[in-house]
Amino acid sequence: MSYDKPLPRINADNQAFWEGCRMHELRFQQCKGCGHVRWPPSDRCPRCHCTETRRLISKGIGRVYTFAVYHVAYHPGFAGDLPYTVAVVALDEGPHLLTNIVGCRPEQVVCDMPVEVAWEDVVDRITLPKFRPLSSAEGLG
Amino acid sequence: MQHAVGVLESGLCRYVLISYGHNALSGDSMRRMLMELSGDDAVFGHFGATGGYALAARRAMHEFGTGPETWKKIAVGQRKWANLNPAAMMFGKPMTEADYDKARWVVEPLRLPDNCLITDGGRAIIVTSLERARDLKQPPAVIMGMGQDHPSTAVAQSDWMAGPTGARKAGETALAMAGIRLDEVDACEIYDCFTYTVEITLQDYGFFKPGEGRDWLQGGTIEPGGSMPVNTSGGQLSEAYFMGLTPIAEGAMQIMGRCGKRQLGPETRTKSPEIIMISDNGGILESHSCILLRRW
Ligand SMILES: [Zn+2]
Repeated sequence: MSYDKPLPRINADNQAFWEGCRMHELRFQQCKGCGHVRWPPSDRCPRCHCTETRRLISKGIGRVYTFAVYHVAYHPGFAGDLPYTVAVVALDEGPHLLTNIVGCRPEQVVCDMPVEVAWEDVVDRITLPKFRPLSSAEGLG
Repeated sequence: MQHAVGVLESGLCRYVLISYGHNALSGDSMRRMLMELSGDDAVFGHFGATGGYALAARRAMHEFGTGPETWKKIAVGQRKWANLNPAAMMFGKPMTEADYDKARWVVEPLRLPDNCLITDGGRAIIVTSLERARDLKQPPAVIMGMGQDHPSTAVAQSDWMAGPTGARKAGETALAMAGIRLDEVDACEIYDCFTYTVEITLQDYGFFKPGEGRDWLQGGTIEPGGSMPVNTSGGQLSEAYFMGLTPIAEGAMQIMGRCGKRQLGPETRTKSPEIIMISDNGGILESHSCILLRRW
């Protein structure tokens, strides 16, 4: 069955991130000036305006900052998933990522619960970073 | 509004018309605008405004213990005002707390009555100098203070969804310009895209401490007969959605005494308004404006 949900629009800014996802790596820009790990990508640091960056690969572990449970499909591709959970995950390295929580029912999700990345290869060149409840206490900081 | 005052003060013009009109209900442009708002978040099934405010409201539940029990008082209270307003979309459609509890989820924790309406129609206001306003047919509502604050952080990057939002600084700025204290305000017209927006705005203005909104709202505080009437036309939840024009137009009309059965004062067993506090809000709590109007 063909994939019928929206796909990310790849551009010069986000290309490195989505290429990383395809390799099952969460790649972020880390500021060489102040160490701030940022998302979304930008050509200079929002904290110190430094333009130099290095690549940081996140361990893919964080906590649910907040979440929302969709009971309406605004796009027909999601009708079969209702109810589904959209969340903002605060990664241990700092960035907040909008994503889905999978691997548990919506009513099991709570703010601040530990989660880990769960890669979903959706089409040939696109892999989505979703998150599931952390399987062990390992990596909790 | 601040731009209008600027061009009036600089002498560039004498009257400024601020208008809003939209066939948002019968057309599809509002829906398309909301869908485009989400960008690549659509990949994860995140769309429009309800999802964004649901994320903010959920974080607020976690941080200061608010929730549907608080928002219900706002939705039901504003519906009572709408039932005094024949122009309201929800006129003749009363809603009880039990109706609210039974309403379907849209994006949890927000139910259908936590969402504003989508409306065909419009509103307009005219801004001029007090000197010119003296000769007009209607008594003017006088701008006594204005404030803005725009944190501008996208909701997915925000770490202050549970406040303080831009309402804190915008409210303080407006009160300082007016030279009044919050307890001198007689009524509020709060931008109410969602019930949670009303709670966090009143909280950040300082009407109650974080999480104390539920108690503050008990006993019909914001309703007809209440001590701090809020959204006296029914607001965007129960009258009509015309962006920031819904609250500002109602605030001005109340000050002018042109509100019929919903008029603040003896008609609705409330205080006759000397000062009304009015808010506007943009994005997902990304920008905030506050205006204080007073009777002349
Ligand atoms: Zn930096």
